[in-house]
Amino acid sequence: MTALANDIREMLHEQVEYRELLTQMTKRDLLLRYKQTIMGFGWAVFMPLVNTAVFSVIFTRVAPIDTGVPYPLFAFCGLLIWNFSASSLRFAVNSLTSNTNLVTKVYFPREIFPFSAMIVCLVDFAVGSIVLVALMGYYRVIPGATIVFLPVVLLVQVAFTASLSLLLAMANLFFRDVKYLFEVVITVWMFATSVLYPVEILGGRLGVLALLNPMTAIIDAYRAVLFYGRSPFDPPFLLAAAISCLSLLVSWVTFHRAEFKFAENA
Amino acid sequence: MSGPVVTFDKVWKKFRRGERHDSLRDLIPNLARRAFAKPALAELEDQEFWAVKEVSFEVNRGEAVGIIGPNGAGKSTALKLLTRILRPNRGACAVRGRVGALIEVAAGFHPDLTGRENIALQGAIMGMRKQQIADRFDEIVEFSGVSAFIDTQVKRYSSGMQARLGFSVAAHMDPDVLIVDEVLSVGDMSFQAKCLDRMRQQIASGVTVVFVSHNLHAVANLCSRCIVLGGGQLLFDGRPEEGLSVYMRASQTFSARHGTQSRLRVQAATLRRIDGAAASTMPPHTSCELRVVFECLEDTPPASVGIELERTRDLFYCYGSAAEDLGHPLTPFRKGQTYEYVARFRAHLARGHYRLNVNVRDSRAGLFYMFAESVADFSIVEDESYDGVVDIELDVCYDAVVEGRRA
Repeated sequence: MTALANDIREMLHEQVEYRELLTQMTKRDLLLRYKQTIMGFGWAVFMPLVNTAVFSVIFTRVAPIDTGVPYPLFAFCGLLIWNFSASSLRFAVNSLTSNTNLVTKVYFPREIFPFSAMIVCLVDFAVGSIVLVALMGYYRVIPGATIVFLPVVLLVQVAFTASLSLLLAMANLFFRDVKYLFEVVITVWMFATSVLYPVEILGGRLGVLALLNPMTAIIDAYRAVLFYGRSPFDPPFLLAAAISCLSLLVSWVTFHRAEFKFAENA
Repeated sequence: MSGPVVTFDKVWKKFRRGERHDSLRDLIPNLARRAFAKPALAELEDQEFWAVKEVSFEVNRGEAVGIIGPNGAGKSTALKLLTRILRPNRGACAVRGRVGALIEVAAGFHPDLTGRENIALQGAIMGMRKQQIADRFDEIVEFSGVSAFIDTQVKRYSSGMQARLGFSVAAHMDPDVLIVDEVLSVGDMSFQAKCLDRMRQQIASGVTVVFVSHNLHAVANLCSRCIVLGGGQLLFDGRPEEGLSVYMRASQTFSARHGTQSRLRVQAATLRRIDGAAASTMPPHTSCELRVVFECLEDTPPASVGIELERTRDLFYCYGSAAEDLGHPLTPFRKGQTYEYVARFRAHLARGHYRLNVNVRDSRAGLFYMFAESVADFSIVEDESYDGVVDIELDVCYDAVVEGRRA
């Protein structure tokens, strides 16, 4: 137990000590995106908008479903939240392997790589949220008082995403197949989550399985506070929150303990 | 702060030879093997080897220590252990205080960012505070000599410019312990001189320096102490001059000159002054005699015996000659025979440490039948102070010259 406490103290201490590096790495990635692409942050909005348009046609004309709020709003919100996690993980998978020159040459806490990738995606998320607010205004959907719980929901999503980011970054360093496997899993996972439709529609055993998915609980919680004026704290979300915290602890400690093997395997 | 700043306590580090398996396909057979294999008796598994074997040393505050050794001696591993990139399998190593590493100084550079942006990034990677980088920004740019291109993307820089900028950032981080790996090979002569100056300043200001290099000249000049590694083990720890000759002997076993056939083998070599006294240290112009006894392992076609004189600290080639050059005919060597070679010479050399190599060769065919490095070594000691390799027995007098006439 003391070993665990020591590790946690060391992990946090390192993050404080290297906080400026985290800022610099994040700044680097944001700067690069701005420099290397014409649209810069426009891409953060463009992709979910295109997807929203496509799925709006499908789920309002081809197979209409009831979502409580106008479908484009439902879908855009789901895609925005999902994209934050999915692209964080996508960057995280390659974050250690694409920085081998740093991993093998200079010491600093390696968590910085997946963490800065996540912060970059968080910035995209923030940019996309402006469009979400505009859409809500357009459809006259006003959030209720429970909007105050929004930060809690975000925090749970960040914890969950961070824990998976650490695991994936580490796994891909040791086994390079992971990034291919990841692409398959993330595609299937999106359709098993309430991104474009409420997974309750699936029904049966598949539906129960889909409800255990922490991402569904998280996205539902967002919609609860944004659209429906409900409290986010229903059992699935509380379970998701517990899973997120626990898995962040486990994966971070694992990451920290495996860290010294990175340079040999990179 | 008292006590050692750098501690290496019985450090062992192993690596795996051959290709590393990093696909999931390899995981399953690996796991199966591990599950069914008997627990390994030896600590070293198949394909593993010790890169560093029970190495212990300590470095005190303000010391400048050079680590030298032939390729594969474990120098880089030792450095990576010091900079916490690797962790030892056994033993412990620790560095107290802020560590500055001049290793791969441009590792954090991103080609698409400008010099200015990269300074901030590289500084943060090396653990500098934002304020510190901002304070020293002008100095860093000035030192690197790339100020005209500071807002240009680094991918447009030459590799020398990148390295110079990287070194400049690292050189301005004011660490307690500076760990340096071969960075002196960056940039042109004048920049290298600047780097050495900078390191000398830091040593003078009390920074502890651990310096890994193949540049023996730099080690001899900068360091007050020298550690020699060979085959992962600590061979020597002490004064640089002695360390260099240990290093020479260590590299002998590891290096073989290209195209050398070992048809003959040196059995014994002695260097004495002509008067019979020991020749380990002597004044300039001393007459010496080198006797080398070697045996012939295989019949060798006609060849001649040659001698080379090198300055130890930088392997400066001072002199080389073969018996054939002196008019001796080429002679064949017969298997099983033992030969003695006697060379007399006068050491018209400046102060320093030197070594002698002996070879058996056929210059016209370009073949070496034997090459024995460092069969003997010696130090030249003199009171006067002059620089260079040769003692030209300079005598100087000067008078004032007035209006073109000697006064």
